[in-house]
Amino acid sequence: MNSLIRTLFRKELLDASRDKRSVMAGLYYALGTPILMCLLFAVLLKQLSSTDELFITIENASAAPALVQFLKTKEISHAEESKAKAIRLSISEGFEQQMQQGRPATVIIDADHSDDRLLSSIRRVERALGQYNNEVARLRLMARGIDPTLMRPVDVQTHDQATPDSRGGMFLGIATLTIILTLFYASMNLAIDTSAGERERNSLTLLLSQPLSSLQLVLAKVGAITCFSMLGLVVILFVSKFAYGLVPWEQLGFNIRLNADFMLFTLLVGLPLAMMSASLQVLVSFLAKSFKEAQTYVTMVLFIPLTLSMVTTYNIATEYVQWLPIAAQQQAMIEFLKGSALPLPQLLVSTLLTLALFAVFSFSSSLLLKSEKVVFGL
Amino acid sequence: MIKVTDLYKKIGSVQALNGLSFQADNGTITGLLGPNGAGKTTCLRTLFGLLKADSGKAEIDGLDIATQTRQARTQLGLFPDPFGLYERLTPREYVQFFAELNGMAKAEASQATAEVLTLLQMNDIADRRCEGFSQGQRMKTALAQAIVHQPTNIVLDEPTRGLDVMSTRVLRDLLLTLKNQGHCVLFSSHVMQEVAALCDQVVVMARGQLVAQGSPAELCAATGKSSLEEAFIALIGTDEGIAA
Repeated sequence: MNSLIRTLFRKELLDASRDKRSVMAGLYYALGTPILMCLLFAVLLKQLSSTDELFITIENASAAPALVQFLKTKEISHAEESKAKAIRLSISEGFEQQMQQGRPATVIIDADHSDDRLLSSIRRVERALGQYNNEVARLRLMARGIDPTLMRPVDVQTHDQATPDSRGGMFLGIATLTIILTLFYASMNLAIDTSAGERERNSLTLLLSQPLSSLQLVLAKVGAITCFSMLGLVVILFVSKFAYGLVPWEQLGFNIRLNADFMLFTLLVGLPLAMMSASLQVLVSFLAKSFKEAQTYVTMVLFIPLTLSMVTTYNIATEYVQWLPIAAQQQAMIEFLKGSALPLPQLLVSTLLTLALFAVFSFSSSLLLKSEKVVFGL
Repeated sequence: MIKVTDLYKKIGSVQALNGLSFQADNGTITGLLGPNGAGKTTCLRTLFGLLKADSGKAEIDGLDIATQTRQARTQLGLFPDPFGLYERLTPREYVQFFAELNGMAKAEASQATAEVLTLLQMNDIADRRCEGFSQGQRMKTALAQAIVHQPTNIVLDEPTRGLDVMSTRVLRDLLLTLKNQGHCVLFSSHVMQEVAALCDQVVVMARGQLVAQGSPAELCAATGKSSLEEAFIALIGTDEGIAA
């Protein structure tokens, strides 16, 4: 039994490793994605860390020189309409007079609130005006001999508990997403080739005519594909280590450092996922009638791991989803990188679930290979 | 020895096998002759246990393929149509792989592979990958795969298709050698000359049934014809399939 699986496994490995195009197509993902992500992160960090000067249109600026000066200290200033964002701050005609009389002086923020790209700029203007309001009110109270703290019955203090590492949540999410998806993308072509391809090249019927069971055949195939998935994982871990080392993290005060411990941990939690991924792709490929059909179906099925990973990346996983394969493993990787406690119960349950799925998928494939319809593509 | 008894098999709406019975003995070359669509391939696939018969049974050396599948298969060598080669493997790797699948230990399989490659005069191509092989080289590789584990029974599906004279000779000589060694050789064909020249026994089938069984000479005598081709047409009652 075991020696037959070994023989089959060796042949699958040899045959697949000589299929240079398929192997490389899988590795391109592992090689390219971290580099792309590195560029993306660099751009994102630049946007996040630089508080660019905000240009808006200020009408009737001469009526409120103090306000305009205050806004300038907050890096909000007037510019021609062509250069400025589509936010217009109109200072009313009677502003100066109303100010002097201590009555509310009107300013109007004129902007499209449905424009998402404008929203943060609008909030920034509103915040600056609010601060100006407080500033003037405080001065007025003091002039009347009243303690301005009267106007602040509750002293709200915010203590930010975010450590530099935890602040990089989204970056960690994206980095781990690309790593975990390798297990699915690196071996996709080989999985299709060894199943739908084997049938299309007429060698499947010859194999099934030999004294072996279809389960042995499926396990050998899944084993070989798992090896290539894990190879993809090793490659992406190393490339990520170097690529993320080039990102100028210091701008945001945290860092993604993939050390040897993390790599070992990822290989460990990744192995069951690789087995599950291989068995799933083989099953789907056998279910398809042809090579091309298999490519379409496998691509469609890969939306499931993508979704589970996305949900974890953007931290919108519900309580149940956190126990599912892929989601739990990725969450554990994120926590490991942050240096926080690992979600061990979730990780354990999802690993067992992953292995159960691997067993179900492999067994289903072996049943399929007993069906005349599937074997001969009838 | 291969024995087929009262096989019935329906594929889709077609009754591919309709009560087929015949026997192929050891030390004999038996030709399975029939027009296109007669059920030859279905019959062979049932023999390997790839298709399950609706009723009836197929036995390999007395082992029922449906119930004792694995034991029965070790007694079978299969030369399929199409060949089912792995383009990225060399003949040596390919043949050794099948030897090991049939239960040979690695060293034993390696030895047997070397012997069969020499027997088929394939040493010049033994370590080249199969992609780009000629039809003759492919045939030899498939043949080596079928006989490497020395099965009692060798089944060949349309072995002479697309072969040149030299390759046909290699094949013919090998089949005769196997016969003299006491193997049971069963091959399907619709090339009359080939069957007439090689076969001791001819099983003529049409529409999923046995039409006649006997030596070429017996078939000619029974139909009163001078050639196997004429006898064949007389037996199946139409000239359908002869052109192929």
